[in-house]
Parts: sequence; structure tokens; C-alpha cells
Amino acid sequence: MQPTGSGFANSGVESGDLMRRIPQTGLRARIPGRTEINAKWRKDRAVFPAASGHFGQRDPEFLQQRPRQRRGGGQGCRGGRALPVYSLTGPISFKPSRSTTRPLTGFLRILPGEAFRPAISFSSPLRPLPTSPVPRLPFAWSSGKPPTSGREAVGGAKMAEEPLVKRTPVPASAESQKPRLKKAQEFPILEKQNWLIHLHYIRKDYEACKAVIKEQLQETQGLCEYAIYVQALIFRLEGNIQESLELFQTCAVLSPQCADNLKQVARSLFLLGKHKAAIEVYNEAAKLNQKDWEICHNVGVCYIYLKQFSKAQDQLHNALHLNRHDLTYIMLGKIHLLEGDLDKAIEIYKKAVEFSPENTELLTTLGLLYLQLGIYQKAFEHLGNALTYDPTNYKAILAAGSMMQTHGDFDVALTKYRVVACAVPESPPLWNNIGMCFFGKKKYVAAISCLKRANYLAPFDWKILYNLGLVHLTMQQYASAFHFLSAAINLQPKMGELYMLLAVALTNLEDPENAKRAYAEAARLDKCKPLVNLNYAVLLYKQGEKEGALAQYQEMERSVRLLRDSGSLEFDSEMVEMAQKLGAALQVGEALVWTKPVKDAKSKHRTTSTSKAAGVQQPLGSNQALGQAMSSAAAHRKLPSGAGGTSQLTKPPSLPLEPEPTAEAHPAEASAQIREKQE
Amino acid sequence: MAAASSSDSDSGRAESNEASSKWLDAHYDPMANIHTFSSCLALADLHGDGEYKLVVGDLGPGGQHPRLKVLKGPTVLTESPLPALPAAAATFLMEQHEPRTPALALASGPCVYVYKNLRPYFKFSLPQLPPNPLEQELWNQAKEDWIDPLTLKEMLEGIREKAEVPLSVQSLRFLQLELSEMEAFVSQHKSKSIKRQTVITTMTTLKKNLADEDAVSCLVLGTENKELLVLDPEAFTILAKMSLPSVPVFLEVSGQFDVEFRLAAACRNGNVYILRRDSKHPKYCIELSAQPVGLVRVLKVLVVGSTQESLHGFTHKGKKLWTVQMPAAILTMNLLEQRSRGLQAVMAGLANGEVRIYHDKALLNVIRTPDAVTSLCFGRYGREDNTLIMTTRGGGLIIKILKRTAVFVEAGGVAGPPPAQAMKLSVPRKTRLYVDQTLREREAGTAMHRTFQTDLYLLRLRAARAYVQALESSLNPVSVTAREPLKLHAVVQGLGPTFKLTLHLQNTSTARPILGLLVCFLYNEVLYALPRAFFKVPLLVPGLSYPLETFVESLSDKGISDIIKVLVLREGQSAPLLSAHINMPMSEGLAAA
Repeated sequence: MQPTGSGFANSGVESGDLMRRIPQTGLRARIPGRTEINAKWRKDRAVFPAASGHFGQRDPEFLQQRPRQRRGGGQGCRGGRALPVYSLTGPISFKPSRSTTRPLTGFLRILPGEAFRPAISFSSPLRPLPTSPVPRLPFAWSSGKPPTSGREAVGGAKMAEEPLVKRTPVPASAESQKPRLKKAQEFPILEKQNWLIHLHYIRKDYEACKAVIKEQLQETQGLCEYAIYVQALIFRLEGNIQESLELFQTCAVLSPQCADNLKQVARSLFLLGKHKAAIEVYNEAAKLNQKDWEICHNVGVCYIYLKQFSKAQDQLHNALHLNRHDLTYIMLGKIHLLEGDLDKAIEIYKKAVEFSPENTELLTTLGLLYLQLGIYQKAFEHLGNALTYDPTNYKAILAAGSMMQTHGDFDVALTKYRVVACAVPESPPLWNNIGMCFFGKKKYVAAISCLKRANYLAPFDWKILYNLGLVHLTMQQYASAFHFLSAAINLQPKMGELYMLLAVALTNLEDPENAKRAYAEAARLDKCKPLVNLNYAVLLYKQGEKEGALAQYQEMERSVRLLRDSGSLEFDSEMVEMAQKLGAALQVGEALVWTKPVKDAKSKHRTTSTSKAAGVQQPLGSNQALGQAMSSAAAHRKLPSGAGGTSQLTKPPSLPLEPEPTAEAHPAEASAQIREKQE
Repeated sequence: MAAASSSDSDSGRAESNEASSKWLDAHYDPMANIHTFSSCLALADLHGDGEYKLVVGDLGPGGQHPRLKVLKGPTVLTESPLPALPAAAATFLMEQHEPRTPALALASGPCVYVYKNLRPYFKFSLPQLPPNPLEQELWNQAKEDWIDPLTLKEMLEGIREKAEVPLSVQSLRFLQLELSEMEAFVSQHKSKSIKRQTVITTMTTLKKNLADEDAVSCLVLGTENKELLVLDPEAFTILAKMSLPSVPVFLEVSGQFDVEFRLAAACRNGNVYILRRDSKHPKYCIELSAQPVGLVRVLKVLVVGSTQESLHGFTHKGKKLWTVQMPAAILTMNLLEQRSRGLQAVMAGLANGEVRIYHDKALLNVIRTPDAVTSLCFGRYGREDNTLIMTTRGGGLIIKILKRTAVFVEAGGVAGPPPAQAMKLSVPRKTRLYVDQTLREREAGTAMHRTFQTDLYLLRLRAARAYVQALESSLNPVSVTAREPLKLHAVVQGLGPTFKLTLHLQNTSTARPILGLLVCFLYNEVLYALPRAFFKVPLLVPGLSYPLETFVESLSDKGISDIIKVLVLREGQSAPLLSAHINMPMSEGLAAA
């Protein structure tokens, strides 16, 4: 007895840790992105009115995003969000259709007149050209003040002269005027108002911009390349990608040596989803301008969409070599994530953060990646940095809050969530987390309220249903718990833990037959869950099926051994205690299986924990306390039986045994759960 | 959302409300009719009388009537029309002579108009660009009639495809012509020499050899053909020429031309290039990945506003220092220099009608204006040292004077939690009833569960029974038997007492037509009358929907409605294939009468 006793005494530290671990194994990999995507969709819908022209263009991007996320499937983390690419000139939007690829050479052959005229049609006829391109000066030269120096005299003479020369004399007849007028005709400078067009454009004053463009094009008969260029940019911003493409092609005809035009043609092609064609045009542009990071970057992005990741990587590295940009880092990190290479992605993001330490998006993503790998200290560090620069960053707050929750800092987490609640009040993960915070604080009614709100916002999210089931089990509302859990199972039929919880609910609803079936299903789905087997064994024992109980007990021992061999797993003291009691009752007497591994595990844990971040185990206190409080509640009823001895065990343990493991499961599952959820 | 809330918080702290405002409202005229850019605003003591005037290169409403306006106090002193839209205005000292009245330079098209004492003084025109020699040669040949227009066109097209030097307007226009027009065009224009002219896009001033406040300055011009020119202040000769990879939009200069200077040029390709005295080409390059909307140098930091609603700080070597997000798009930027306190800060006019003043990353002040500010200028105006001049999108003019007691402090720093953190969470409340129900569930959970399960089974059983019954009696509107796959739906139109009942019958089989079907209506003959209650259905071709129309007369005047049953039968078979119950609407015609 002595060794076991000591084992319990010290295992206090681990118990909390175990609680966190239990659910992690199955959950961590899968959960991240999903809810987030839903949430994001919801958010986007709410924010961008679909009808408005300006935002409308973003929709195709999101349309494209969704399938991509799905494809990513298992490794859904990457912040749950495909990062949009912005070009120099305008926001990107994707179109899912990539069916028709136009022959690329086609546009280069278009004659300028043909190419341009259909693109813009002017309602008003062309204005007559001004007879004097250098009109009269704003001031009359005062003859009384002759210029002082010779140089000025020259200038002055010029200024004074011009109006005289240009002013055509009043004609006697129309015939005599015509030839003279033609002779005097001067061509306007094509680029005369380019600066004005540009200034309007960068101020996003598109109406004024279009007016100037129209005027300029009329005056130059469609030869002003920059006007067409900006018109095309505006078209693209307005979502008329095809029109913009045609205009850019016109520009490329007007000045074939300009790489910029080709880049824009390629960009429009890219936005139309014709990635291969875009790459070809980019290569064409690269011939004219070798050292352009933008070309390399965009070609890389095209390759990403074509799923040629190695080529994409090459191009993006080239881009980084030429000039470093956050965007390139993000895309490169995304490739690694798509390939499922977390470590490389982290490397890239680390470099990116080094390069631009204040980019909250980079910081958040890096933090989430660390979180995914379980390197909590670093994750917290980066998320904290992100919050320093942007204290209202939704993703960072949720992630950091969940970490606080894991460590039991429920109040701090709640304070942080308030910020999100103000900014994104309709986020299901947020309300789920808030609910679990209240759960941690043992405010069960509030917890249920929040979880129900989360469930209302995302009715098909099984994780919220799972948490609801858990809370209702704690509240001993087994009938409600049954409904939530069975709803969760309908949405996620592959989770052993759900069946186990369902079995616990059923047991309490005095339906042992179905409970057994649920346990069997749980054991089938989760091969290495000692908790499932233990609970099952207890149930069978209570039902008097000793052989079955024994089989489950042995199964549990097997999985315990497996787990112990596979890594530094610690076991919950409550579970160990229960297992020992059951072992004694079944007269297996195999306490050795437990005592040793516990010690081992503990020593291992100690060594690792000292080397590991202090944050991992230090704030465990409250969580552990919670766990203890709950189990003590259970133990309160259990005591007489446990002390009694083996012979008396038959009846009494039956009832109390049941709720207890679940009670342990709650905080653990809950907290881990939450953590996964918001990523 | 997040941005908005943070902006509220920032402005909440830095807000200039009436009492504690740092600014005196000197003048506001929403109808001043001034439409211009920051680059076309200049403050100078034009007459040398110590009274600073405001020079505005006004584009006029819609860019139609460009004017040069000189304002003294709130009133327009002089106003004269301009030949073309002004791209930039600058005041500079041309020479050392007394009285030291600054000259005014106005860049417009290919020319710089220089005024002294508000009188025209000199016009500088950009030199003509050298034409393409090949092109010149071609036109010369055309002049001698050695080549016909078609050959000329082909050759010119060849030049356009390859050549480094772009073609002149004349050639471009020629290339656009139809075959028939070419002859006339050539004969009309062949004698003219080929010209290529460029225009000025931006202009600024650079001290010549002294750093003093009132030292002689050179004009620095940015041109459309991607060049920077430095002009001699006296002789107006080109002192230096530098080339850029793109067209400059904004210029920022520091240093002296004869000693050492740094020139930053924000360009149309989204990059900022930094040049030094001895470099003909850019020494450093800042790639913004967005268009710059403003460029201001504050001491040693280059502040660039980008179209992504952010301000970026860069060193003179192009290293990024910081980024600040704005709540709205930046429209214009300029420098605020409070000499008495040695403060330099950046002002940014935003699309949401705010003017924000930043010292590095720190927000110093927010001015709210009734309209979005499109141009800004700060300096000595009249006899007041620190005057802020703003013009708005609608053409208004706002003049504010900085209080002499005003001290800009960094408003509480960036730290501190957002105010949203102090707000209470709106956790939904639960009612007493809920608690009671909870307690009840605890006590009688098992019973509830069992009742529920029993009822659920009963429900399922009943549903299954009803389904089977429906299948058996062909009560469903879709028949899925192998021989007669049919679909039926019915529409009732009209207000009554006569309704039109349309049955849509569709053969859903892939290939087989159906023949020999009958339709029968069952109805209460007291309430309704149908012309034919029983008729044959024509042959049903697969896939098509056959509308079968019949009229129904409602006989009752009591506003009663009933069900009409439609049965689809096969000849010689008593059990219907399909049936539908049509809930007839109430006859409104009778009810109303």
C-alpha cells in the first residue's frame, strides 16, 4: 500500500496534466480550421453586402477558398483562412472557372484600332482638337516691363509670341479655313493628364478618375496608354475582369516593350483562373524585366493553384531573393502547410516575423502553428506579441484565451474574450470558449447559456454539442445530455469519446443494454483509451458480468502498457485508483501495472517539465483543483465502499463508479476541446 | 469591426473636443470652390511684406477651369486663369538680392511658369525628347515620296514592336488610320518634323548650397518619361538629370544640391526610389506592394502612405521601421512643422473626414472635418506661425490656427487594453422556469428519457404506418412503379367562384411513353361543379410535363372550401396509380359579394 499511497500524493501534479492530455490525442489534428471557416463565412457574409459592387468582387475569392480548405482536409490549421494576395494595383479576386484558356498569342496580334474601339465606346462624338495646344497665357505681358536679361527676353518672347502664332485669323470663308486649320493641327501630348489620372486613382476617387480618362481618351483618340491602363485597373476593381483583360491587352499592343502591361494581363488571367496562361504571360514579362520579385511571386502563386508546389517554392524563393515581402513568406508558408510540413512552415514564418516583426497576421499564424505542435511557451509568446500590436486581433485573442483556459486562468481569458465579443459577437467558437470558461468556474447555468448560444450560431458543430453534453452530464441532466451527445454523434460518428459519454448518460438513465453497446462502439473506435475500457469494465462488473469485465480490464491494461511504451504518458490518479479498486474486486491483483508506470511516468514528467516551459505545468493549479473538487464530490459517495474491501465491493461501487470518470473527463476534454476549436 | 473599434478608442483619447482643442477655428468656407491637391498648395511671403499668402493651383470643379488663386486671410486676393491643369506649385528664392521675395513656380503640362511679385516672369519648357532616328528616317523618306503609306505603316509597326525609344504621336496616330485615310494624313503631315514632348508630373524645391531657411533653391521636376531634373534657380538650365525606373508621383528632398542631397521619389509602380547626389540611378528601392498616396520626410524618417490604408516609416536606406493602420483610406499627406517646439509630424487626410497627426507611430491629434480633406498645408499664413490649411472634397476651405499654448503629447501611448475589454459580456440569462425544469430533470431524468423514447418509437411507428398506407393506396403524387413512373402536381388559380385547376402530369421514365391513363376527380357535388369529372389522358411522352386544365365552379356561397381528390388511373385497373388532394381556396368572389 505504501508505494501506491505515495504515488497518489505526488500524482497530483500529473492528474491535471493527464486531464488535458486525454482528449488531445484524437482531437488535435483535426479540429482547428473547421469552425473557424464557418465562423469566417458567417462573418464575411455579415460584413460584405453581396450586392455592393466594391465588395462583390471578393466573393469569388472566397468561393475559391472553400474548396481549397476542404482539400486541405486534415491539416486544416493555417489559421483556417487562405491568405489573399494583393498585387501592386488592386485586390485580387479569383474566379473558380478555369475552363477556357484563350490562345495567348492572340491578343498580341490585335490591331490597336480594333482592340480598343470595342472596349470603350464613347457616347459623345470626338471633340474637335484644340486649335492651339499651347493656349494663351494666363496673364497679359505688360509691355512696360521688359525682361531684364537676354535669357529672359528669349523666354518672354516665346511666351508672348505663341498665342499670336497659334491664333488663326478669322477666315473669310469656310474653304479657305480648312487647309489652314489642318496645317496648323498639332497633336496633343498623349501623357498630358497621366499624373492627374494617377492622383485620382490612388485616392480611390474612381468617378473623377473615369471622367479624366474619358476626356483624355477622346482627346488622344484612344492612344493614351496610361489612361487605358488605369481604366483597366478600375474595371478589375469593379469585378469586370474580362474587360480589364482586354484593355490590358490593348496596352500591351500600344507598348509591347513594357513589362508592366504584360504583368497586368497575366494578373487578370490569373484572376480569371487561367493560371497556366498567366504563367506564360508572366514568363513573357520576365524576359523584359528579369529582376522583378512581383513576377516571381505571382508565378509562384499560380503554381500553387496548379498544385506544382516544388516549382512554386522555387519561384517564391526567387522572389524572396530579389526582394523580401511578407506576402511571399505567407505564400511559402502556405505551401509547406499544404504539404503538411509544419516544421518547414514554422521556419518560414520565423524568418518572416524576423523580417517584419509587427505583422500581426504572421505572428498569429506562427503562434497557432506552435500551438499545433504543442510548443505552448513559444505559441503564447507570439500570440502575445500579435496582441501587443493589435489588441483586438480576433484569432490571436481566441487562441491565447484558449491557452489561458487550459491553464485555468478563466478570469483572464474571459476578460480577453470580452474584446472579441464586442468585435465579433456572433462567433460560435467564442461563445463555446466563454461557455467552457464558465464551466471551469463552475458557473454551470451560465456555461449552458453560452454553449447554447454557440450551438444556435453553429448548429452543426459537434464540438459545441459535445461540450453541451459534458456540461449536462455534470449537471446530472442525463436526459438532456443524451440528446446533445446523440446529436453530436450524428454529426461526428467516428469519435470514441462521444460514445463513451453517451454510454455514461445511458447508464445513468438506467439503460445498461444500450450503454454496453455504446461502450462497445467506443472501444471499437478508440483502441488505446484505457478510460473507455475501464468504464466499460465497471459497468459490466456492476451488471455482474465478471468475465466481460475481466476482458475489458485486461484490454485496459494492454492499452495502458501500449501507451506507456509509446511515450511519456501520465495517468490520472482517479483513474488509477478506480482501476486498482476494480482490479481488486475482480481479484486480478495487478496493482503493479499501475504503480510502476505511474512512477516512471512521473519521473519522466518531472525531468521534462523542468526543461520545458514553466507555463506548461505551473498554472495547472486551478484546473487540478477543479478536477479534485469534482472527484471529491464523487468520492464523497464512494468512500464507504472503497474502504470496505473486496468482498463488499459488488454492490456499492456500482453507482458511484459511473459518474466519476466522466467527471474527470470534463475539464480535461473541455479545455482541450476548446483549445482546438478556435484555431 | 476591429479596426473601427480601435479607431474609436484612439480618437477617444486624442480627440480634440471643443474645450481642450489645440486648434482655433479661423475660417471655414464650404463654398470656397477650391479643388486641388496638397502639391498645389504653397505658403509664401510673396510681396516681401511679412504677410504670408496662400497660393493655390486650383484645378477648378471637374478639372475644367484651372486657376491660380492667391489668398490673403480668408479672401481671394487675385485669381487668374491657367492654360492647363497645374500639377504642382512651389515657392522658392531665386537669387540673393534684396528684397528677398520668393518666386512662385507652377508646373503645368510641359512647362514651369515662374512668377515674381505675382507677375509672370519666366516660362521654362521641358526640352524636346530625341525622336527615334529610324522613325525620323522613315518620315523623311515619306516626305520625298520614296515609300508609300503602306510600307511606312509596316515599317513603323516594326519599330513599335522592337524599339527602345517610343514612337511620336504622329506615327502612333498614323498607325491607327484606315487605309483610305493614310494618303491624306501623310501628305498633310510629312513635312513636319517629328516631336516628342513629355510633361511634368511633380515638382519640389531643393536648397542650392546653404541650409538656411531663406537660401536659394533649385526646382526639382519629375517628368512623365521617368526622369528627374534639377533646374538652376537663376539660369533655368538643367543642372542634373537622373532617371528612374518608373514615373515619379511624389518627391521628397533633403540636403543641398551643391553639397549632398537625398531624393526620394514615390513612383507609379508602387516603389519609392532613393537617390543621392552622385547617383544617376536609384540607390535604394522601397517596394510597397501598394500604391503610395503620399510621401513625407520627418527628420530622418520617410513616411509613406499607401493605398492599403496604412502609414509606413522607412529609413533613408529603405529599411522598414514601422507601420500604422488607418481607419480609412488616406487621401493626402503633408508635413506639420511646429518650429517653436521643434516638432515635426505627419498629417494625413482620411476618407472618413478625419485629419490625423502622427509623430512616428504615435497619434498626436485627430481633427474632424465636415468633409473629407483632399489637400493639406501647414505653415505661416498671414502673420500667424502655425496655421493649418485644408481644402475638402466638395471644394471647401478650412483654416485652423494652432493655439500657442498647444503642446502635442503622445496620447497616452499605444499601450492599454482596448475599451471593449471593460464591457460586460452579455451572457443570456436563464429563467426561474428553466431552473425548475433542470431540477425536475435531475429527479426524474430516467422517466423523462423513457417517455421520450417510447413516444419517439410510437411516432416512428405511426409515420411508417402512414407511409405504408399511402404507398398501398397510391396516395402519393409520385408513382414509382416500374410500368408507370409518373409525377403529378396541381395548381389552382383564380379568386372564385370559378377556379382554374391545372394538373401537371409528367412521365418520368426515360424512354417509354405511357398510354391509356384516366383522370378522375372526386369532390363534394354540393360545393363544386366540374365540367368533366372523368377524362382520358393523352399519350405521355417521357420527360414532358402535360398541363391538364379544367374549371371548377364553387357553388357554395357560405365561404366553405373543401378538398378535391385527383386520381390517376390505369384503364382496367381499379386501384389508382396516383392521387392528390387539392385544398381548394375559399371563393373570395362570393364571400365578398
